[in-house]
Amino acid sequence: MSTRRRRSIFEIINEYFENLEEWTERFREGLIEKPSWDHRACTMEPLRDIMVAPTEVIVTVDLPYAEENRIRVKPVGRDTIEIFAKMKRKIRFDDFGMTHYKGEFQTLHCRTRIPIPIDIDKMEVRFKKGILEIRLPRKHGHEIPE
Amino acid sequence: MSEEVKIIERKEIPRNTVMLFGFPDVGLVGVIAASHLISDLDLTEVAYMDSRLLPPLIVLHEGLPHSPIRIFGNHDVLLAVSETAISADTIYPVMHALIDWGRSKNVKMMISMSGIPVQDRQDIEKLKVFAAASSPETLKVVRDEGLEVLKEGYMVGPQAVMMQYCANTRVPAITLLAQCFFKYPDPEAAAALLKELKKIARIKVDVSKLLEKGEEIRLRARDVMKRTQQEMSKMKKTQEYDIPMYVS
Repeated sequence: MSTRRRRSIFEIINEYFENLEEWTERFREGLIEKPSWDHRACTMEPLRDIMVAPTEVIVTVDLPYAEENRIRVKPVGRDTIEIFAKMKRKIRFDDFGMTHYKGEFQTLHCRTRIPIPIDIDKMEVRFKKGILEIRLPRKHGHEIPE
Repeated sequence: MSEEVKIIERKEIPRNTVMLFGFPDVGLVGVIAASHLISDLDLTEVAYMDSRLLPPLIVLHEGLPHSPIRIFGNHDVLLAVSETAISADTIYPVMHALIDWGRSKNVKMMISMSGIPVQDRQDIEKLKVFAAASSPETLKVVRDEGLEVLKEGYMVGPQAVMMQYCANTRVPAITLLAQCFFKYPDPEAAAALLKELKKIARIKVDVSKLLEKGEEIRLRARDVMKRTQQEMSKMKKTQEYDIPMYVS
């Protein structure tokens, strides 16, 4: 039978702040309305989705105009991935008939936090029909011994 | 017509046409198909919806205000399209008003254009298009044209309300559903749907330009898709994945 180690007060406080940070991030992503573009960074935010399967987490990102060999998927910490994709052409607001905003974009960029523990070093990436697919194996924290 | 939803006519409305519906839903299939039909068939705005139930927004085109829900048409077809996601609590009055208006113009058939989400969509080369009908007679038309029937399952959203209301009021109605992405705009699915629509509505439409402009459409449609996702979540759109319980 395994024994549980008692956690120190510092570990508990640390976990509290981690949870608070996670909640803030979720709040920021989910509730605060913001444009899908950033004219200062010259980036547009792509649509993305996360699916949690029994053994892995699958993140997909819609990357129109992306050049396959100029897509970068960067792990940020243990649970976040950042995606940059250079587009084949520059997009201006004029292209959408909008003349009241100025700016041009050549990169699709987003940051996605994975909601459950994953092994970020073992991610597999593929790009098909303009959709980037990132497969991340799940980390199973507690296993019942045989 | 309901007091809270008005349809204001801008031109003389043709009678005895088919009436198509393209509303924001999975993959924005209906809206993308509708936009393509408007440009390819050179349809003009014949009417628009005015209602306090709609969000307080207008769509500006060439500096002029337009209702987010408009009806386009020519001598053969009427097409109702929405440029904004419709909230779950307004779908009933909006769809009922459009169908009542269509009935007053002796529309011979209502056809809703939408999608049916599939997993691993990017691995599917040839997209299937399914159809459902409001009556056994209309279902026969679907079968005779060689369309695959969606036999069992749930339907959620504007097309569900349309089918039920048309069945109640005995208006022939068909819903076409192309396999598509759930959360991403899917121009390929819209093209697949339009190919099947030709069989039912006898409309000549060329989808080559739609396919050429696929990436532009996907980029442009991100914001509408995002807002549509929020509404789909509220109306429990994922229920379409559910396996129905058999009730005879």
